[in-house]
Amino acid sequence: MKELAGRLTALDPDAGAAVQVIAYFDRLAESRAGLEALVRGAAVLAGVPARLFDGERRVQVRVEADGTRRDSPVPPDPAWPSAALSPDGVPALWLERAGAAPSVVDAVILERAAGAVRQVLDRTRGRAPADDPASVETLLDATAPESARLHAARRLGLDPTARARALAPAYGPPRIAPEQTTDEPHPGRVGVGPAVPVLRLPESWAAARVALRFASEEPGRRVVHAEELGGLALLADLVAPGAEPPADVRALEAAAATAPWLLATLDAVASTTSLRAAATEINVHHSTLQDRLAHAEHLLGWPVRTPQGRFRLQLALTLRHLARA
Amino acid sequence: MSLVPPPFDPELAAALELIKDVISPGLTLDQIDEIRQGPGIALLAELDLTLDGFFEVEDRKVPGPEGAPEISLLICRPTAAPASGPRPVIYHVHGGGMVIGNNRVGVDVPLAWAKEVDAVVVSVEYRLAPEHPHPAPVEDVYAGLVWTAEHVAELDADPERIVIAGASAGGGLSAALALLARDRKGPQVIGQVLMCPMLDDRNDTPSAHQMAGVGVWDRTANETGWSALLGEARGGPDVPAYAAPARAEDLSGLPPAFLDVGSAETFRDEVVAYASRIWQAGGVAELHVWPGGFHGFDGFAPQAAVSQAARAAQLRWLRRLLGS
Repeated sequence: MKELAGRLTALDPDAGAAVQVIAYFDRLAESRAGLEALVRGAAVLAGVPARLFDGERRVQVRVEADGTRRDSPVPPDPAWPSAALSPDGVPALWLERAGAAPSVVDAVILERAAGAVRQVLDRTRGRAPADDPASVETLLDATAPESARLHAARRLGLDPTARARALAPAYGPPRIAPEQTTDEPHPGRVGVGPAVPVLRLPESWAAARVALRFASEEPGRRVVHAEELGGLALLADLVAPGAEPPADVRALEAAAATAPWLLATLDAVASTTSLRAAATEINVHHSTLQDRLAHAEHLLGWPVRTPQGRFRLQLALTLRHLARA
Repeated sequence: MSLVPPPFDPELAAALELIKDVISPGLTLDQIDEIRQGPGIALLAELDLTLDGFFEVEDRKVPGPEGAPEISLLICRPTAAPASGPRPVIYHVHGGGMVIGNNRVGVDVPLAWAKEVDAVVVSVEYRLAPEHPHPAPVEDVYAGLVWTAEHVAELDADPERIVIAGASAGGGLSAALALLARDRKGPQVIGQVLMCPMLDDRNDTPSAHQMAGVGVWDRTANETGWSALLGEARGGPDVPAYAAPARAEDLSGLPPAFLDVGSAETFRDEVVAYASRIWQAGGVAELHVWPGGFHGFDGFAPQAAVSQAARAAQLRWLRRLLGS
């Protein structure tokens, strides 16, 4: 393209061009130009279409050499000159110049444009911090507008079409985990909500908070998945945290106060498949267990070795967690 | 009033950064020759005026004003047969501060419209100041219009649909041409496209003061252009409206006008005032003030988003005017 005097056109690849490229993008950055202006700058100066694609932040801009915005469904050609937005990142900015030897001007255009794009993305869409508390809060807030929650999802680097789950830890801020979350060791109790589309995370969060109330401090039962509670979840509505607990819970507490082993023993009976397994779990002889249970039944006022009695015990232990303030 | 001008649009500011070596804000009389002989004008001659064969191009010598030399018209006609009856004519007047340029300067803009609306483009060459002060330029422009109106049949064109158009000095001359055609009961013109037009020799508006030394075509350059055209009379009480249309007492009875201008340029206030005065006279005008635009921004940086918007607005107006 012939350069008319005073008209902005593609730069000739001479030594002065690099300086002009730098001046151009510096000026754009100075006046806080947006992404499209930056991609357009790359296209106009290079004289070929330029495109930006950042999958993590859901950003896609393609501008032709004459400055018109025209996005394309065709994926970028790996042979095109490209630049990443971070030192170890994947290519995100391309000049659609096929079959050309690498040129210094193209490299400078890509480098300066990518730097400016990164600044804009950091400013407007965040660095995608996985635990940005404000974004997590917005995403879990059922009263926040859908657009705000989508924006928050992008800030967190979440694909709005994927599924995720909310985590409610007993201590610390809420968290969001991918659908296939591994049960990483949690420092305390945590409720795990069901996997849902990102925009339905407020529901997952509500379920996670219910699940948290069923979690106990005992190792192995600190993490409760809402999906595994089933009808038990209904109990959560019946017992208000911190309120006067039901009679069976009061009986449990009174019994527990008489012997340090009592709660752990009852818990083992309620959570294992047989008395033998329960004895193994708490590391006592079978006959010792029988003696302890006779004592406990006396204190509680109901049998714990019949099916009905064992169910009543399980219920009492569960209600005890729910009554916790 | 603040002497701080509005900020340039970000993309335009960046473009200005690259063209600042070629385009400086000011212009003095002694620089005119240098620019006339500079590479810019010569490069324009290499423009593909046919737009890849869409137009056939002809340079035609036609009679000038009485007692004056012939003038040259650049005539660009679509090669294909007209889609529906005779074509409209876009009569183009080039810019260049009254002191530089030829009928190729800026003609790419009306050619792009003409391709869209299937029109004939006629671009007039006129004598330049200071060698040829007022009224030479505007009389040449008028003579070209008269010839065009009388020879439309030769051009497969429609005498009822002539639109005049120009940018900068060409916009000022187009405005003057509309006044002349009205007052002399000359050729019928159905519309005037005044792009960042140069209208007021007094050079004393707030925007003229704000833009001193910045952007493109500042207060000094403007004074140079007007002084070349008017000499000592510039800014005085006796400047005729056909030289500086802002001086016209009566703006009634003019063809519908399209006016655009950047918010960060010398001409902003005189263009806004001219549009207002057309409305006050009961006329028809559409005015666009593009934020952060410097003088001629859509020509210098046609790729910028604001330039694309400005060009699109021009074309949309033309389509409505021509009913195409």
